[in-house]
Amino acid sequence: MKRYVFLVSILVLLLALFVAGCSQQQTTQAPAQESASAQPTEAPAAEAKPSEPMVMRYADKAADLGTMDPHFAAATNDRNLVDMIFNALVRYKPGDGSQFEPDLAEAIPNPEMVDGKQVWTFKLRKGVMCQGTKETPAYELTSADVVWSLQKSANPDTSAYAGEYNGMSVEAVDDYTVKITMDQPLSPILFLPKVTNYAGGFIVCKKHYENVGGENFKTNPAGTGPFKFESYTPQDKVVLVANDDYFRGRPKLDRVEYRFMPELNSRELGLKSGDLDAIAGQNESEWAKRMDAEDGLSVDVYGPGEVAVIHFNTSVKPLDDVRVRKAIAYALDRDEFLALFGGPPVAGKVYSAVPAQFLAGGLTEEEVKAKGLDYARDLDKAKKLLAEAGYPDGFSLEVVSSERESYLKPYTSMQAQLAKIGIDIKIKTVDHSSMHKLIRQDVNPIVIYVAWRPNADVYLTRFYHSDSIVVSGAKPDTNFSHYTGIDDLIEAARVEQDPEKQVELWKEAQIKLLEDMISYPILYMSQVTARHDYVDYGHDLKTVFSLYPQFDETTTVNK
Amino acid sequence: MGKYILSRLLLAIPTVLAVLTLVFFVVRVIPGDPATAALGDYASQEAVEALREKMGLNEPLIVQYFNFLGDLVRGDLGASMITGKEISDLVKQVLPYTLELTITSIFIGTILGVPLGIYTARHVNTGVDYVGRVVSLAGLSVPAFYLGILIMLLLAHKIPIFPAVGGGNLKDFKSNIMHLVLPALTLGLIMTASVTRLTRSAMLNVLKDDYVRTARAKGLSERVVVLRHALRAALVPIVSIIGIWAASLVADSVLTETVFARPGLGKMLVSAIMQRDYTLLQSVMVIYALFVVGINLITDIAYSFVDPRITH
Amino acid sequence: MEDRLDSKLDVVIEEELTERLDAPAIRIRSQRKRLFQTFVRNRPAILGVFLLVLVLVMAIFADDWFIAIFQGREPQPLLAPYDPLEQDTVNRLAPPSREHWMGLDSYGRDTLSRIIYGSRVSLLVGLLSVLIGGVSGALMGLTGGFLGGKVENVIMRVADILMAFPSLIMGLMVLAVLGGGLFNMILAIGIVLSPTFARVAHSSTLGVKENEYVEAARSIGAGNWRIARVHILPNIISEVVVLASIWIASAIRVEANLSFIGLGVSPPTPAWGSMIRDGTKYLFQAPWVSFFPGLAILITVLAFNLLGDGLRDILDPKLQN
Repeated sequence: MKRYVFLVSILVLLLALFVAGCSQQQTTQAPAQESASAQPTEAPAAEAKPSEPMVMRYADKAADLGTMDPHFAAATNDRNLVDMIFNALVRYKPGDGSQFEPDLAEAIPNPEMVDGKQVWTFKLRKGVMCQGTKETPAYELTSADVVWSLQKSANPDTSAYAGEYNGMSVEAVDDYTVKITMDQPLSPILFLPKVTNYAGGFIVCKKHYENVGGENFKTNPAGTGPFKFESYTPQDKVVLVANDDYFRGRPKLDRVEYRFMPELNSRELGLKSGDLDAIAGQNESEWAKRMDAEDGLSVDVYGPGEVAVIHFNTSVKPLDDVRVRKAIAYALDRDEFLALFGGPPVAGKVYSAVPAQFLAGGLTEEEVKAKGLDYARDLDKAKKLLAEAGYPDGFSLEVVSSERESYLKPYTSMQAQLAKIGIDIKIKTVDHSSMHKLIRQDVNPIVIYVAWRPNADVYLTRFYHSDSIVVSGAKPDTNFSHYTGIDDLIEAARVEQDPEKQVELWKEAQIKLLEDMISYPILYMSQVTARHDYVDYGHDLKTVFSLYPQFDETTTVNK
Repeated sequence: MGKYILSRLLLAIPTVLAVLTLVFFVVRVIPGDPATAALGDYASQEAVEALREKMGLNEPLIVQYFNFLGDLVRGDLGASMITGKEISDLVKQVLPYTLELTITSIFIGTILGVPLGIYTARHVNTGVDYVGRVVSLAGLSVPAFYLGILIMLLLAHKIPIFPAVGGGNLKDFKSNIMHLVLPALTLGLIMTASVTRLTRSAMLNVLKDDYVRTARAKGLSERVVVLRHALRAALVPIVSIIGIWAASLVADSVLTETVFARPGLGKMLVSAIMQRDYTLLQSVMVIYALFVVGINLITDIAYSFVDPRITH
Repeated sequence: MEDRLDSKLDVVIEEELTERLDAPAIRIRSQRKRLFQTFVRNRPAILGVFLLVLVLVMAIFADDWFIAIFQGREPQPLLAPYDPLEQDTVNRLAPPSREHWMGLDSYGRDTLSRIIYGSRVSLLVGLLSVLIGGVSGALMGLTGGFLGGKVENVIMRVADILMAFPSLIMGLMVLAVLGGGLFNMILAIGIVLSPTFARVAHSSTLGVKENEYVEAARSIGAGNWRIARVHILPNIISEVVVLASIWIASAIRVEANLSFIGLGVSPPTPAWGSMIRDGTKYLFQAPWVSFFPGLAILITVLAFNLLGDGLRDILDPKLQN
C-alpha cells in the first residue's frame, strides 16, 4: 500500500509538471496571472526591515569568472566586473559610449605638439581613494599609480592589450599631473580610447597589486570604482560591495551580486520568481518582446551591436575569382539572416565592415545603395556570374563553425541560401575555442566572424591590413581574406588628424572592399538585458562597450 | 577483507595514473590553448604568445608532464591557468555542493526506485506495472535539464516554495537545504527510473527461483518471502546500478548544476575543457578518478554483505 | 560400482544439459515454436515490435532513396512532408498547424520532417553504441567475474579507468585520436557505456557463480567456456538487456552533447538529441520544438524496453518451464 502511495505521488508530480509546462504558455499571453503568482515571492521582501540593504542581483550568461585584472579581462563577464571596480582617466558616458567624459582626470585635455611629438597632459582629481583591502589600507590615488598602471598596460607580460600602447610614454609631472607623449600624433577618436574605461585604459591601484601579486590580483582586485570586490565563489557568483569612499559619492546600492548562469531558461525563471533583479537575455527579438510584455518586467535593447561579417579567402580557388565572390553576394539576402534573430530591434542590417550605426567611418545603407554596392539578392545574376567563372553547377566547400548560436545561425542560413545556386557548404561544428584556433590556421575558405571593435581603425587594420593576414602576415591576426588592397588608406587614415578627412578615408577603404567583394557584412546583434521595473540603472541605455547595463553610484533597486 | 581493500587501494595508483596520462596528452591535441581562451579573440598574437610563455606552455610536453606529476606526488594540485587560484581551494569550495547533491539524489533514487521496482515486479503485467514502466521510461527519455526546468517552473515559480537559483550558503543549513531540494529531486527522479527498471527485472528473476518457491511453500508470509528472500538475492545488480549512478552523478550532473546555477565538480570539469584550463582539468580528473575507484570499491565490498556467498 | 553409478549420473546430467542447447532439430523447432508463442502472447512485447517497426519505417521511408539511387538523382521526401533542411526563417518557431503538424524550429524548418529524418541517426546511435558497449562490457564483466583472480583484477581496473571518463571527455579523446564522424561518435558512446555493462555483468556473474548448479556442472568436469555460456550467460542476460534498453535513451541524448564538439553529425543534419538541445533554448516560447523530439525518444525507448522484456522472458531459462 505504501508503495502505491509512492507511485501515485510520482504520477501526480509528473502530471503537475506537465500542467505547469502547458500553463506557462497561457501565462505569457495573460500577464495578469503573472502578477498574482508573483505576490508570494515578494512577501519576504515586505517583511524586511527598512534598513534592509539594497542589493542588485544580476545574472550573466558566463559559466565562470576569468579574471578581474582589467588589462586581461576579455570575456563579457570579466569586462562587466572590472567596469564596476575600476576607473580610467576618461570614461564613456554611462549608457552612452559615443561620448567621452573626464573620469579620474579633471578634464579632457587638448593635445599639444612638442618636438614633433604629441603630448596630452592630464590633471588628476584630488581625493580619489584606492579601495582598502585586507592587504592594503585605502590610500589616495596619485600620478604614480596612473603612470605605473598605464605602463602595466603597455607591457605584454602584464597586459593583453600591450600592442595598443606602442609608441606611448607616460610620466608623472607632479602628484596630480600625468603627461602622455605619443611618438605618432593621433586624432582624439583614436587616442582617447587608450586612456578610457575599457581594456588597457583602466587604472589599477599600484600598492595593492604589488602587495598581492599579479596572479592573486585576478581574484582579489582593487581599484577606485563605485564598488569593491568582496568575495568570489567558483561557478556561482562574485559579490561586490559599495565603496564608501567613491569620489562621485557612495553608491545607492549596498551590494552587487553578480551570478554566473549560462542557462537562459534558468535566468528567465530566476528573474520571474524574484530571485534575480536583472539578467542577460537572449539576443533575439522574439525573446525581448515576450519578456517585455510580462507584467513588472522590462527589456532593454542597446548597443553596441556585434557585427557578423562573411570573409572570403581570396587566395584559394574558387574564391580567388571576384565573380564567384560576387555571385555569393548576390545569392544572399540579409533579411533571411536577420529573421533568425527575430529581426529588429535586436538585429539590424550592416552594409560595411565598420557598423555605421555605432561607429564613425561606417557606410550607411543609402551610401552603399547609391554606389550600387548593396548586392541586393538576384539569383539569376548570381548563377550567371558563377557560370562565367566556370562553375555553372556550383561547387562545394567545407567550413568549421563554433557551436555558439551567434555563429551557427549565420553559417546555417548561408548554407541554405547558397544551396539555391548550387554551392554546397558542409559545416563542421567545433567548440568555440577550437574554432578560433582553426580559423587562424586558415582552414576555412569562408569565415564568418562576429566581433565588436572599438573603432574603425581597429576593424580595418585587424581584418584587412596585409600585416594581419592569418598565418603568413607580419603580425598574423584576423585578415582571413588575404586582402592587401587598402593598406595605404588604413595607414593614411590612422595618422589623419582632421576627423572629417579621416572618416572619408575609412569610407573609401570600405567601398574598395565592397567593389572587390572581399567580405560581406551581414548584420549586427545588440545587447539584450531584462530587469524588474523597480530597477533603475540611473542612465538611459544607448551603447555600453562593456556589454551590460552598467551599474554605478546612481543605480537603484527599489522593491 | 582488509588485505583485499589494501590491494584495491594500491591498484588505484596505476588507474589514476592511466587516466591522468590519457587526459594530459589528449587535451593538448585538441585545438585551442588556455592562453587564447583566457585572452579572447581580440588579443594580439604577441599577447597570446607572452601568456603562453608565462603559463609554461612552451616547455616540452614531457617536461610539463613530469612537472605536473612531481607536484601531484607532493600533494600540490597546482593553480588554475585561468583564474590563478589554487586548485585545492577551488575544489574545496565546490566539492561539498557536489557531494550533497550526489548523496541526496542517490538517496531519493534508491528509496523511490527500489520499492517501485519491487511493487511493479509483484504486480507484473497489471495496470500498475504498465503505468510504472511507462513513467520510468519517460524519466529516462527526459533530459536532465528539461526536467530540471520544469521542476523549477513548478516549485520555484508557480508555487514559489524553493529558491530558483544558486547553491545556497554552505554555512547556513536552511539555505543550503532549500537550494538542494530541487536539483536533488531532478537527478533523483531520473535515477529512480533506471533503478526501478533494474529492480523490477532482478526481482522478476528471483521471484521464480526455487528457494523463493520453497519459502512460499513453507508458508512464509508474502512480505517475508519478498523482502527477506527475494530482495536479498536481487540486491546484487541493484547495488551495482546504484554504484554506477553514484560514480556518474559526480561528473554528469553538469546539466542539472547548470540549470540550477549550482557550483559542482562536473561543471568545473566542463568549463575547464572549454577554457582549456589544462591544470584544472588534470587535477579535477585525478579527483574524479579517485572517486570512481572509491565508489567501485565500496560497491564491490557491498556485494559480499548483500550476498555472503560472494567473497573477495 | 560407485564409480559406474557416478559416471552414469554424469551422463544423465550431461544429457540434460546438452538437450537445452544442442538438442535434435525437431526439439529445437518445437521449442522455437513454443518460444514464439510465448512471445506473441506477451502483448506488451508485440506493442514494442509494432512501435519499433513504426520507427524503422520512418527511418527507411523518410525519402525515396531506393528509387532515387537507380535514377541517379537526389532523394525526395517520401514519408516526410517537407525537406528537413528547407528554411522558412520568417515563420520560424511557428506553432503546430495544419501545414506543419509539429510546428517549425528556430530556423523555420518543419519539425515533423526533421523527426522523421532524424530517426536515421538516432536509431543508429542508440542501437549501435549500446550494442558496442553492451557486448564488450558484458564480456568483460562475465570473464572477470567468472575467472576471478588476476584476470578479474585487470579487467575490472580497466573498467575503472574507462568509467573515470565522462562522456564529453571520452568524446574529446576519440575526436583527438580518431577524428570526427558519426561512427567515431558511436564508438565513443559505446566506450563510455561499456564499463557500466561490465560492472553489472560482473556483479551478476559473481552471484550466479555461487549457485549450486554451477558447482554441479563444474564437478562433472564441464569446461569454463561451457559453464559461462550455458549457465552464467543466460542468468545474467536479463540484467544486461534491461541495462541496454535503459542506456539507449541516454545514448540518443548524448549524441547532442558530442555533436557540438565536432564529433558525430554536423548541422543541419537532423538528429533527435540535437533537436532537443536546440529546442530547449525556446522552451518557454515554442515548447513544441523540443517536446516532439523528446516524445520520439520516449516512444523508441519504450519500444526497445517492451521488446527487451519480451526477449528476456524467452531467454530466461527459469521462465521457460
